Amino acid sequence: MANEIFDRDTILDLTVNIIPLGIIAFFVVGFAVFPAFGFDPLTTAVQYGLLIVPFVFLAILTYLSGKAIAGDEQRSAVYLQGQATVEDTKTLEEYEEAAERAAAESDDETPELTESEKA
Amino acid sequence: MQVNGQLALTVLMGIFLVAVAAWLARIENWRSYTPLAGGGGAFGQSEGYVSKEKPAGLIRWLTTVDHKDIGILYGAFALVSFAVGGLMVVLMRVELADPGMTLISNTFYNSLLTSHGITMLFLFGTPIIAAFSNYFVPLLVDADDMAFPRINAIAFWLLPPAALLIWAGFFPIPDVIPAQTAWTMYTPLSGGVGNGNQMNAGVDLMLLGLHLSGVSATMGAINFIATIFTERAEEVTWANLDIFSWTILTQSGLILFAFPLLGSAILMLLLDRNFGTAFFINGGDPILWQHLFWFFGHPEVYILVLPPMGIVSYVLPRFSGRRLFGFKFVVYSTLAIGVLSFGVWAHHMFATGIDPRLRASFMAVSLAIAIPSAVKTFNWITTMWNGNVRLTTPMLYCIGFVSNFIIGGVTGVFLASIPIDLVLHDTYYVVGHFHYIVMGAIAFAGFAGIYYWFPIYTGRMYQQTLGKAHFWLSMVGTNVTFFAMILLGYGGMPRRYATYLPEFATLHQVATLGALILLVGQIIFVWNFVQSWLEGPVVEDGDPWNLKDEGLYTAEWQWYDRKIKTALADGGEEEEALTDGGQPAVESDDSN
Repeated sequence: MANEIFDRDTILDLTVNIIPLGIIAFFVVGFAVFPAFGFDPLTTAVQYGLLIVPFVFLAILTYLSGKAIAGDEQRSAVYLQGQATVEDTKTLEEYEEAAERAAAESDDETPELTESEKA
Repeated sequence: MQVNGQLALTVLMGIFLVAVAAWLARIENWRSYTPLAGGGGAFGQSEGYVSKEKPAGLIRWLTTVDHKDIGILYGAFALVSFAVGGLMVVLMRVELADPGMTLISNTFYNSLLTSHGITMLFLFGTPIIAAFSNYFVPLLVDADDMAFPRINAIAFWLLPPAALLIWAGFFPIPDVIPAQTAWTMYTPLSGGVGNGNQMNAGVDLMLLGLHLSGVSATMGAINFIATIFTERAEEVTWANLDIFSWTILTQSGLILFAFPLLGSAILMLLLDRNFGTAFFINGGDPILWQHLFWFFGHPEVYILVLPPMGIVSYVLPRFSGRRLFGFKFVVYSTLAIGVLSFGVWAHHMFATGIDPRLRASFMAVSLAIAIPSAVKTFNWITTMWNGNVRLTTPMLYCIGFVSNFIIGGVTGVFLASIPIDLVLHDTYYVVGHFHYIVMGAIAFAGFAGIYYWFPIYTGRMYQQTLGKAHFWLSMVGTNVTFFAMILLGYGGMPRRYATYLPEFATLHQVATLGALILLVGQIIFVWNFVQSWLEGPVVEDGDPWNLKDEGLYTAEWQWYDRKIKTALADGGEEEEALTDGGQPAVESDDSN
């Protein structure tokens, strides 16, 4: 595990995929604890396979995409979407610094708004 | 004597083929097809095989390999298909204004039902997305063109023959009648069992057309994957890839796994129909068809909805005066939808009697896939929250998308639950649910894109009042039509029927009224689209939506700005464009 890539922010971004993984895991456990329709070697194997295969693929893709995106964030400048090749554009960091400065200067700006801008 | 005759024919044919090969070698620079030297290479765009100046007139459109031209071709094709599929359903809805068989025969109704579905999904939905992606993905990732420009052109040119095959039954060809299988082509009906109408060659032609459209989609998908992976500019890292390109990349991945499977299943069905094999009929398993079809069919839903979600995620922040809330949430949830969409196919088959343990698993994954979609919805709403919202036509369509997507999505979550599905399966509830998505969401996002980028591909501005009239008629028409269908479904009205019991008449008439409102809206759209393209005020500003003011200016507008500034003046004076966003009346619509 490259912990320098999977820092707190990246894990927070990935929660969006961890929730569906959690739901699938919940049903795996649920079906194991309450096997309402009995046990049959083939059918039960397919039943769990239908849950475990998407789980594994989603986990792999989440890991790979998280690594690619968070890795590129650390390696090079990050821009707003569609602006990477625009001339004289500001980086995300510059926008955030400007927003924080504006928030500090003006009391009108609510703290929730700056929080939401951060995400 | 006979052998000599055959020999002579063979020699003659050989000479003919050599002559053809020699002729082809003379007229074409075959070296340009080597991977490193032409339009086909990852590095070699500089060889310049594509001539610097495009030919004029029709020849330009027939020979073009420019991604922007091909995008326009896809768009034109898609809009023609939308008109065909739309007129088909208007006829059906008018027929349904009365419980009995009045205007058209029941068999013709079945034909229209089948063709409406296939036309809208394969000849409108996929191509309208390809129109945007062909035009804008290379601009957004700063590529010279698509990775394989010629494959791009072939992929488009497979579509018109596919459309002709799909619609073949409607043409006056002796002994060929339209398919009446519904778009799902369930066996044994589509196998032609019982020597009924479905034995007709019209079904075979439709299957071949569908197969061809699948080949086209697959070629396009490979091209997009190659383009996004290999042709991005250095600055466009994975962290900087825009949301629309992300959705196109995911969609292309889905197409790559889903469409070849549909193609195989179609060939198996054709073999069953024509060569006596036993995959699905003749002793085969009809349920196998449903498994194969829906293993393609459910990802197909996301193939159609992910890029429109990308358009909304891209356009909506421009008119909210702020960047997309939780950009990375949207990216990751798009990828999650992509993977999970392959694990939910049998939720279309809960009523077929498959093992309850399998049903339970499909229900679980279907509930899980609702989360990423819901996440996106909250992101769009939060983006608008406290933003500087400008209610331009593209923005209205984005908001309409979110609104309709919520209704379509929530009704879908109910269907994921087995007990509810068993009650509502095969009723109008299902029809209402998925039309909220395909019309209310996918087509709405298509219109958002058409209006938002109108200045880029036409150089002109559309008429704002007509644009807004189009939106409101579409929004009201969509909700009147499809909400009535949801209520019809609760009442137990089964889908696909040309006639019905009189107790359903009122709601059916409401749905027909909604469809007619939609028709009026689309007529206004066609008028606005064509007239504005030909005569609309010329846009001379590279930032017609005033995106620079809020720091939301993007690569494709910069490209457009450069194009205007480097264009040769051709004289003539045009009225200056007043953009939707620049109107004082719109300012007053702003929230806060």
